[in-house]
Amino acid sequence: MEIILAVILGGLFGYALYFAGASNPRQLLSMLRLEDLSLMKIIVFAIGFASILLSISIGIGIFDLSHLSIKATNLGVIIGGLIFGLGFGSAGTCPGTCVAATGTDGIKKAIAAVLGGLTGAFAFSMTYGWWKNIGLFDQMNFGKITLFHLSDKFPSVFQFGAIGLFITGVIFVVIACMIPMRGRQ
Amino acid sequence: MKSRNWMLKAFVLGVVFFIAALLVKPVGVSTQFSVLSGIIHSTVRPNIITEDPSRETGYKSTNAYYDRNDGKIAEDIKNPLNYGFVFVLAIPLGSYIGYVTTRKNKTKRKREKLPRKPLKYYVPTFISGFLLLYGARMADGCTSGHMMSGIMQGSISGYLFAGVVFAVAIPTAMYVGMKYKGNGGNE
Repeated sequence: MEIILAVILGGLFGYALYFAGASNPRQLLSMLRLEDLSLMKIIVFAIGFASILLSISIGIGIFDLSHLSIKATNLGVIIGGLIFGLGFGSAGTCPGTCVAATGTDGIKKAIAAVLGGLTGAFAFSMTYGWWKNIGLFDQMNFGKITLFHLSDKFPSVFQFGAIGLFITGVIFVVIACMIPMRGRQ
Repeated sequence: MKSRNWMLKAFVLGVVFFIAALLVKPVGVSTQFSVLSGIIHSTVRPNIITEDPSRETGYKSTNAYYDRNDGKIAEDIKNPLNYGFVFVLAIPLGSYIGYVTTRKNKTKRKREKLPRKPLKYYVPTFISGFLLLYGARMADGCTSGHMMSGIMQGSISGYLFAGVVFAVAIPTAMYVGMKYKGNGGNE
C-alpha cells in the first residue's frame, strides 16, 4: 500500500513542480535574480496554504502526529545551507526540481545535475564521520525545535500549537499575494 | 508563465505538500541521493553494510553516515523498495505527464540542442549538483524537506535553512547572470 502511495504522491509532486514552473532552471534563476517573482509567489503561497490545511487537520484531530518530520537545528544546517546556496544560485535547480526536470525537455542538463548530486551525496557519506568528530552537529544544537507546540515529541518556542501554525499560514498567504509579479528589470 | 493562474499552481503545490504529510510523511528528496549512491557503493564494496539482528533496523555499517540513527540509511540501501525511494523515482513520471499533457497548448518548444562545447555546458551543472547534495546532506534536508515541508510544520531548521540558502543563492545567481549574460553561460 505504501509503495502505491509513493508512486501516486511522488507523481503528483513531480507534476506539481512542473506545473508551477519549478522544474525549469530558467524560471528559478530569474526568481533568484529577482527579475520574475511569480515562482516566489507560488512557493510562499503553497507553503502557507499547506500550513493552514495542516493546522486545521491537527486542530480537528484527523492528523496522525507521528507523520510530523522535524529536522534538527544545528550549525550543519547553516554551513550546509551556504554550500547548497552556491549550487542553487549557480545552476537554478535543487535536488527535487532536477529529478523532476529529468521528465521534461531539460533532461540532459537535469541528468548532469543528478549525477553531480549523487557524487556530492557520496562525498558527504564519506566525510560525515569527520564533520561529526569535529563537532559540526553539536554546535548551536537546538534539537528538533518547532515554532509552535504541535507534539510532545518536539520542543517549541511557543506553548500554543495548531492556532499558531494557522496564523503563520495566513501570514504566508497574505505575503504571497503582496509579492509583485515582476521584480527588477 | 501566465500570470493569472499563479494561484492555481500554488494551490496544487500546497495541496500535494499537505496530502503527502497527511497520508504518509512530509515530502523529502535529498536523502534518497545518499541511498542511491550508497546502493552503488555497497555493490562495489559489499561488506560496508552487514546485518545486525540486535538492531531495530537490522543493519549496521562501517560508514558512520549509513550507520547513523541505528543504521537507518543502511537499511534503506539494503531495502530500496520503500516509500521514500519510490516517491523520488515517481517524480519524473509526474513531471513527464505534466510536460506531455501541456505541451500541445503552447507554441512548439525548442528542443534542447547539444551545445558546441558540451563539457563547458554540463560540467558547471555537475559541480552545482555536487554542491547541492553535499550541502543538503550536511543540513539534513533540501528545498523540499527543509524549506517546504519544514516551514509548513513551523520547524526552526526550515526557516534557518531558507534564510541562509537565499542569502547565498540570490547574490550567486546575480553574479553568474552578469558574468554570462549574452552567451547563455550557465543557463
